[in-house]
Amino acid sequence: MSERKITYPQLLETNALIQQLADESYWLCVTRTVQESKLFPVSPYMLLSYFMAFYRYPELVRKVDAHMPAEEIGDRMRNMGIKCANPAMGWGLPSFYLLGREYLINLGLLRPQDAVEDVIDVMDFWKRFQLAWHRNDGHITNSAYGHRAQILAERRVQVFHADMYECRQGDALHNAAQAFMAAASQYGFLISCESRISLHNSGPYKLSDTREMIVRDYMDLSESDFPWLDDVARGVPYNNLTVPMAIEGCHVYLMDDWGSFESEPEFKAHHVVGVGLYTSDTLTDGYIPVAMESRDALTNAFAELTETVKDATAKLWKRIASWSRDQMMDAGAITYFAIAKDIAHVAGCYEVEDWMMVDERAQRFRPLLNDEYSNAFLGELVGSLTNPSQRLNEYSMMMHSDQPARMYTHLPYSVLEGEFTRTVGPMRPGSSCLAPKQDRYTTSQGVLTLAEYNRRARDFSPLAATDDYRHLCETWLKYHASDPRAQALYEREQQHSRRLAGRGAGLTRADIEALRGGGE
Amino acid sequence: MSNYYADADKFGDEAASPLVEAFHSAVKDRVRQALAQSGGDWNAFVFDQSLALITEADFAAIDARILELGHRYEWSALVSVKERPEAYKPAAGLAGDLATFSFEHPGAVTAPADADGWAQCGVGDNVVPWDEPLVGTARYVRSSEQVLKYLTEGVPAGTIAVIDDSGGTLTAPILEQFAGVLCAGGTVRSHLGILTREYNIPCFMNAKLSGIREGDTVKMEITAKAKTAEAYQHGIEMTARVWRKAGARD
Repeated sequence: MSERKITYPQLLETNALIQQLADESYWLCVTRTVQESKLFPVSPYMLLSYFMAFYRYPELVRKVDAHMPAEEIGDRMRNMGIKCANPAMGWGLPSFYLLGREYLINLGLLRPQDAVEDVIDVMDFWKRFQLAWHRNDGHITNSAYGHRAQILAERRVQVFHADMYECRQGDALHNAAQAFMAAASQYGFLISCESRISLHNSGPYKLSDTREMIVRDYMDLSESDFPWLDDVARGVPYNNLTVPMAIEGCHVYLMDDWGSFESEPEFKAHHVVGVGLYTSDTLTDGYIPVAMESRDALTNAFAELTETVKDATAKLWKRIASWSRDQMMDAGAITYFAIAKDIAHVAGCYEVEDWMMVDERAQRFRPLLNDEYSNAFLGELVGSLTNPSQRLNEYSMMMHSDQPARMYTHLPYSVLEGEFTRTVGPMRPGSSCLAPKQDRYTTSQGVLTLAEYNRRARDFSPLAATDDYRHLCETWLKYHASDPRAQALYEREQQHSRRLAGRGAGLTRADIEALRGGGE
Repeated sequence: MSNYYADADKFGDEAASPLVEAFHSAVKDRVRQALAQSGGDWNAFVFDQSLALITEADFAAIDARILELGHRYEWSALVSVKERPEAYKPAAGLAGDLATFSFEHPGAVTAPADADGWAQCGVGDNVVPWDEPLVGTARYVRSSEQVLKYLTEGVPAGTIAVIDDSGGTLTAPILEQFAGVLCAGGTVRSHLGILTREYNIPCFMNAKLSGIREGDTVKMEITAKAKTAEAYQHGIEMTARVWRKAGARD
């Protein structure tokens, strides 16, 4: 039995983090989407994933944290430019865990004062990661920033800005980019079993008085973590692709923690006036340009990738359409549960058994999860908040709806009087009725075995996350742009840039715009 | 079991859904039994003994009891009703019976035909406003078998797909070929709404429809304003109309 002391400040902070997520989760769930599918049993697999998260996340974040602290992973991810979409760490990791906890409380299988160390540890890991990931904008979430995500440092925004090609609706590049983004979005929904986990937007960044930039990421596109992409995605050459987009005549006033945005006026394709294309992963120092050497090369690359993605979509759809309900449940639940799996890749401790299996403690609930019950319960859990555990005294008025309700139950402070349990305990075996994962991982360094991928991840750090540079932040840079270390940071970021290679840290936004020379 | 926490909730009572409450009450009954069986020490029970005492068989028994009472589940994924037809309400309008099938949604707003023969047959939430209304041929797309058929044979030109799936996966390989979409679910932020926007395909989400038959000529008021997040949050009506042409069929 752990002798760890739990303190009052720890509980205060944990509950504040829980409440912050509860407020935002309600807003996201009632305003952003009604997620359903005639193909996938979406609500059933979501509920299954919440059980998985509750039983496994505490041990998994402790394991990852032991290999690499959460704040260091946040720093590395920010500089690698890899998949760390807000839906994953900004919302999914803590929310899936808390939703699993809330579910079990309502099943009569968990008290609010159970698994206290687990709750504290998951929320603390989340907090440290988020603060590091959002270091440049100084917030813990997009919602805390008024729904904005300015994750990137100036040196990276400058490269995106400088190298993107101008385009207008109807021209070849615009058409090709638009077709790719539509096809890749659709492919992403299919990869992630109807969730939006494979695509993500961040920003906006101000390019000029009339232009803003959105950074759109497409992730997990090739043979990598998900067993259902083995073979069918072999032709997709990049696991992650990023499209920086300049938009004009349209202000992005909301970028939420699921990575979707709102604009005024309504965003349409003709607002896109500039695009670029990059790839990145756990082994890249920043973003690597894809066919950015010329407008024609970029246009052709978008067109080829569109056809590749459509082909993979058709193959994957046929595979999924032949699945049993249990296979669909497993794939969907694993997609949700594994939303934060890339923290283990960065830490170099990713294991298939940890992230691609359904824990036996979660498996036992499967007979409950018919479509009607799952839809009704999920609607109460994240929409109407009418489960008994979510009801507060009648004087209460929650954020966004004034109901006497709270999506996620706080830890009771009576824990300090000693009546509580600490943890769900160590990992237990998991299983899956999907085909076993092939040992093939598409990376920026080729197709690797998992052991080799983990080894290279452990050995690698982007320059900006190494000991000599890690704390040279944007505030330091403001007063040290001529410092050799600032030059080194900028030149590393610029190493693959068509326009900025070797230009260093002294450029302003106006200099970048002048260098663009019309964006050709 | 007087000290069972679920029996001492001052502010919460029952779930709003009778089905949810039925399941959860049954689970709690089983927990009470198992806790008593284990000796009543919650701390020893919660993460240890309960795993052996509350098993998959217990949850399967609860499911069986609900079905024994005559309840049949509403289905949302086709695979669910296909694998357990005895547990779910039957599915209609999926393929063979399309000639006689039509969506009949309770909230559908209808009106008699105007001078040009257009009879209003529903409303929906417009995803993106366009300059001109859209006219096309209604075709229901509700099963993977239909999608596979269209994937093989191609989608007929001018098809306005009538769908009850707001997701982006069922129609994934053929969505690009639709001229328009009438979706009887979701919101403009649902995945199908996002994808139709990306593909520049006119689309109404959350459509409430009545009387549209396979092959009918239909018109969508895609010139209407797009429904906003604020409108959803505050329950403000922002709908666009759908008409069918009397007697016109492909």
